[in-house]
Amino acid sequence: MFAAGGVSSPLGRALLLVGIIGSLFGAIASISSARSRDQAVARLIPRFAILIFAAAVGAFATMEYAMITRDFSMAYVQKVGSTATPALYNFAAVWSALEGSILMWVLILAGYTLAVCFWLRKKMDDVLANWAMGVMFIVSTFFFLLSFGPANPFAKGAPGVFDGPGPNPLLQNHILVMFHPPLLYLGYVGVTVPFAFAIGALVTGRVGEGWLLATRRWTLFAWGFLTFGIILGSWWSYEVLGWSGVWAWDPVENASLLPWITATAYIHSVLVQERRGMLRVWNLSLLVSTFSLTILGTFLTRSGVLNSVHAFSESAIGPWLLVFFGIIVIVSIGLIGWRGDRLHAPGSIDSVVSREGAFLINNVLFAVFAFVVLLGTVFPLVIEALQSRNIVVGAPFFDQLVAPIGIALLTLMAIAPVLPWRKASAELLSTRLFWPAWCGVGALGISIVVGATGFMPLLTFALGGFASGSALRQVVLATRRQGLRGLVGRTNGGMIVHVGVILIAVALAASNSFTHSQELFLKTGTPAYFSGHSFELVKIVEEKTDRAISVKALISIDGGQAYAPAITKFTKVGMNIGTPSVKTGIRGDIYLTLEPPVKQDSGEAHIKVFIKPLLVWLWIGGFLMALGTLLAAFPGRRRKPTDATSALIGSNDE
Amino acid sequence: MSASNKLKNKYSWIVMGAVAIALLIFGGLRDSGPLTQQDRIDAITMRLACPTCQGESVYVSRASAAEAIRAEVARQVGSGLRTDDETIAYIEQRFGGQVLLVPRSSGVDSLVWALPIAALIAGVAALGIAFRKWRTTDDGAASAEDSALVDAALASKDLTGSGS
Repeated sequence: MFAAGGVSSPLGRALLLVGIIGSLFGAIASISSARSRDQAVARLIPRFAILIFAAAVGAFATMEYAMITRDFSMAYVQKVGSTATPALYNFAAVWSALEGSILMWVLILAGYTLAVCFWLRKKMDDVLANWAMGVMFIVSTFFFLLSFGPANPFAKGAPGVFDGPGPNPLLQNHILVMFHPPLLYLGYVGVTVPFAFAIGALVTGRVGEGWLLATRRWTLFAWGFLTFGIILGSWWSYEVLGWSGVWAWDPVENASLLPWITATAYIHSVLVQERRGMLRVWNLSLLVSTFSLTILGTFLTRSGVLNSVHAFSESAIGPWLLVFFGIIVIVSIGLIGWRGDRLHAPGSIDSVVSREGAFLINNVLFAVFAFVVLLGTVFPLVIEALQSRNIVVGAPFFDQLVAPIGIALLTLMAIAPVLPWRKASAELLSTRLFWPAWCGVGALGISIVVGATGFMPLLTFALGGFASGSALRQVVLATRRQGLRGLVGRTNGGMIVHVGVILIAVALAASNSFTHSQELFLKTGTPAYFSGHSFELVKIVEEKTDRAISVKALISIDGGQAYAPAITKFTKVGMNIGTPSVKTGIRGDIYLTLEPPVKQDSGEAHIKVFIKPLLVWLWIGGFLMALGTLLAAFPGRRRKPTDATSALIGSNDE
Repeated sequence: MSASNKLKNKYSWIVMGAVAIALLIFGGLRDSGPLTQQDRIDAITMRLACPTCQGESVYVSRASAAEAIRAEVARQVGSGLRTDDETIAYIEQRFGGQVLLVPRSSGVDSLVWALPIAALIAGVAALGIAFRKWRTTDDGAASAEDSALVDAALASKDLTGSGS
């Protein structure tokens, strides 16, 4: 342990330096080969991509090594390392604070750069491909610099430290910390790829070609990871935080939601460009917004600016991100303005009641949605800057404004999937929407029979039924025609994603509107009753480990299996963390938390019980969204976007 | 589709709409059953801001300042003397400062409510303008630029040959 001490720090910094130089030369090689068309230079590009990936893997592995060997000579290990952290959480501790998470960003970005380079390996003579690689390298340069400079994870720590507090107790409490951040980052960083191609298309002026559409699958993967990462984050919140909720509209959550919203708008509206060649400026703007929102979100949440405007100057990473954000926005707007003439697309959209009309309405709704979330997140900053006054924009604000947008989106999801391109007649709509609409009425009837009340939740259930009817109609018709192939391809996969979204909407409406909770004071041997269930304290057990003392109350629900909500005292941090215990069911969850104080031998426990209807369908919906995304990415039979528009579909299949 | 079929279809839509509206009104207006005391405490604390944490509600927060407010709300609800709104007013007066989780709808703060509505109106208006433009500009006729492109393409091809 001491032999290794001290090696990691210089090694890690050296590797980051290699990454900076490699990215810089990669960018120079890409751009100069784009300008000079020199194939000898173009052949160098993949080498730089391999180099920076190797450097990033090396730096990340060095950090892991330092963490695993508990190299307390390093400041970062002193901050989040501890001799008592179990191996798994210690591994995840690398990304449990700012510097390490930027290092993970670097690793994933270098991975994407190499993957794009491999994807383009036979197209390195294309100017647009060169420019896209150039942008990837420039963004990589920035993040390597960020990690080398202001967010340095390899800084030397104070001497004489032999142990640390370990990661935040909340981050060593549940297995999901292993998966949620990496998946979210795969999505977050993944949007760099379509952004790079958007800039490439603008610089070369080849905005009308299929390149942007060819990168659609990259966007889809990034979007899928972002979706799944956000869902896992909510799951973690539900399983760990103990307030029985999945989403608190806190700035960090909003920062991950914002690029998701604009990316969702993009993957819909890009279909109009593919089909009709229209909306080019709009689609480029959505890609630029998505990428810049990932940077802005990181700035807002990782620079300390949202805790207080006054902490701004103390944070080293803040100005870097803000300047980078500014450059992205200025360069992109400049390029779009410069290419304005070529971006103007011929053609027109004939009717609002058409597939493309529905996509446009979808985009207006998503744009307003993004605006609401952004406004609510930055509004306290604006007020503090203007009037030096603290205000809070919390969950009720977002709930009130997002609920109507959600209802409007559900309505659109009910109607849009049956719309044809160009225009639709009332007769066609009446025929195609007939059974889906009855599904909606059926869902409404069932909700009322099982006891649902309230106008908004009932409307959500009705529209949810209607929209799933429309989505399933498409899948049923497609599978009837094509067998199992009717499940793949973006339209059918997209409909599966829609069903996932509907399940999430229904689960959120049900659990937000119909949650009941009660505090119970339990004594061993005497069951208490709430909401048709019995709760009996079996016993209280105490578990001691190196890092924590955990007190668990074993509570038998309905005389069955015992659930064990706990309070854990992390001795090194001196922090008490409550851990809920959840009995999951198809119809609803029973969510138990243990309330302090608890005495082991008292035979008494004070618990809080939440009954959360239909909550499990939120996670099922999330998995369905991931599955649908995979199916949508699976190639169906269609024209390759880079082929001429007149080429026959499937004429030269790979 | 025959005329009688169309008619039948129309009637079934009307029936469907009537059933849906009736169900919504029935379900929306009926009593949602008793709330537990804890439900009321939850509903109130969801609207209150924890004074020491950024933007979290008292309901969500585990901080001690939030615990104190939660206990006070529980006392008020337990005594049964005040309505939810009165309890919030009482907490605001007793704890002072910013306890509401939403900005007021007066002064500069009202912008946070007004701007989203303005954005929606702007979005819908932009869409309307775009559709109007599409309707008026696209008459289907080729512009001079288009004709020049076609002429150039035709000139470069041997049209007398068999073609592709």
